[in-house]
Amino acid sequence: MSERYNRQVILNGFGLSGQQKLAKAKVLVIGVGGLGCPALQYLAGAGIGTLGFIDGDRVSISNLHRQLLFKTSEVGRLKVELAAISLSALNPEIIFKPYPYFINQANILDILRDYDLVIDGTDNFNARYLINDACVLLKKPLVFAAVSGFEGQLAVFNVPDVNGISTNYRDVFPIPPEKGEILNCAENGVIGVLPGIFGTMQAAEAIKVLSGIGRPLVNKLLNYNLLAQSVYEIELSPGPAGSYVRAKDENSFLSLRFENLTADNAGVVEIDFEELQIIKAKGNCLLVDVREVYESPKLSSGEYRQFPMSEIEKLMKENLLEKNIVCICQHGIRSLGAGEQLCEKYGITKNIYSLKGGIARWKQFFTSRL
Amino acid sequence: MEINILSFGKIAEIMTITSLKTDEPMDTDGLKLQLEESYPALKTIKYKLALNKQIVQQNRKLLSGDVVAIMPPFSGG
Repeated sequence: MSERYNRQVILNGFGLSGQQKLAKAKVLVIGVGGLGCPALQYLAGAGIGTLGFIDGDRVSISNLHRQLLFKTSEVGRLKVELAAISLSALNPEIIFKPYPYFINQANILDILRDYDLVIDGTDNFNARYLINDACVLLKKPLVFAAVSGFEGQLAVFNVPDVNGISTNYRDVFPIPPEKGEILNCAENGVIGVLPGIFGTMQAAEAIKVLSGIGRPLVNKLLNYNLLAQSVYEIELSPGPAGSYVRAKDENSFLSLRFENLTADNAGVVEIDFEELQIIKAKGNCLLVDVREVYESPKLSSGEYRQFPMSEIEKLMKENLLEKNIVCICQHGIRSLGAGEQLCEKYGITKNIYSLKGGIARWKQFFTSRL
Repeated sequence: MEINILSFGKIAEIMTITSLKTDEPMDTDGLKLQLEESYPALKTIKYKLALNKQIVQQNRKLLSGDVVAIMPPFSGG
């Protein structure tokens, strides 16, 4: 056994056998964000034999206060690519499997099948329920964590206790919240260190389950409040029969409907030129042209500001004062991307719009009326 | 009797009370109704109760001094 693991191998109760169990284990971390980054770092350090991680997202500047695997110079790059480089430099003795896309209903079962334990580090309810239901179907231990503001929740699902009883997320919250009912981090905010604590605790629970030490949070839900530094643990039991639908087999899993799995934030609203005029007329509105400086036609006049997409960080650093932000570009594609980043930064505190079809579609209006 | 109330997350913003006094017999379903009447915003979100640190999966009778935790789901990460 490598000298690398000496400090945990000499631990009473963990020892060489604990280390060997970790070396044999395959763990999948879903979401390489605030929770996934610290979980991955500690699991890689601990010597989990195979570490998979899946995320289709790219690094944005507002990630960096909590996602410490990434650097400022790496904004815009794929998270899993960067994580693979950093983690294999940390521990070249284990196998890494990066998946550069989002999980969905069609791919999740095939991906999960290869793993012994799953860590949910996602940031939206669609993904969380999908992961939960897939883990229930495949009987995969799931280490769940979710945070909001200064608080968080942690649990280990699908692991039977001494009486053979196990619980899952739907035993706590059987029905997913409606869109907008509960805010995510982009909307509600989160203090950077909080997902750091929870991602680290997820790694700890995974290590306990896999090596068989201690008392993992089986059939328990831990509530944590950072401001009070307080923990409130409750005991879980299975929900009453009929409180939720459990997929019996793969076919019924595939026929249950899940929404798309991108983050469920307030989102960019795509508008046409007429709606743009109405929004402008209401005032408190800023037009942001995200085209490069050499692109034409130039907007003839009016209160717009230019933030070329190639320097999008400048827009993100700027503290925009207007309540309504309309992004425009040539065809309405880059503006949608810029709008999504603005949504992530400002959440529901601002209305973010993107002009559908861009300047190309509404050309005659732009040269005369703006 | 007096029921102690612990609120989490968004629910702590909706209702700031930490206890509820009542002369009537009370159960968890009745408590939910009473809280939703006093704080209508509660009706618009999903939440789960725990009575004395045990998740409430069906209606349970409440006794004076009981602690009821009210938890919303979190999605952030």
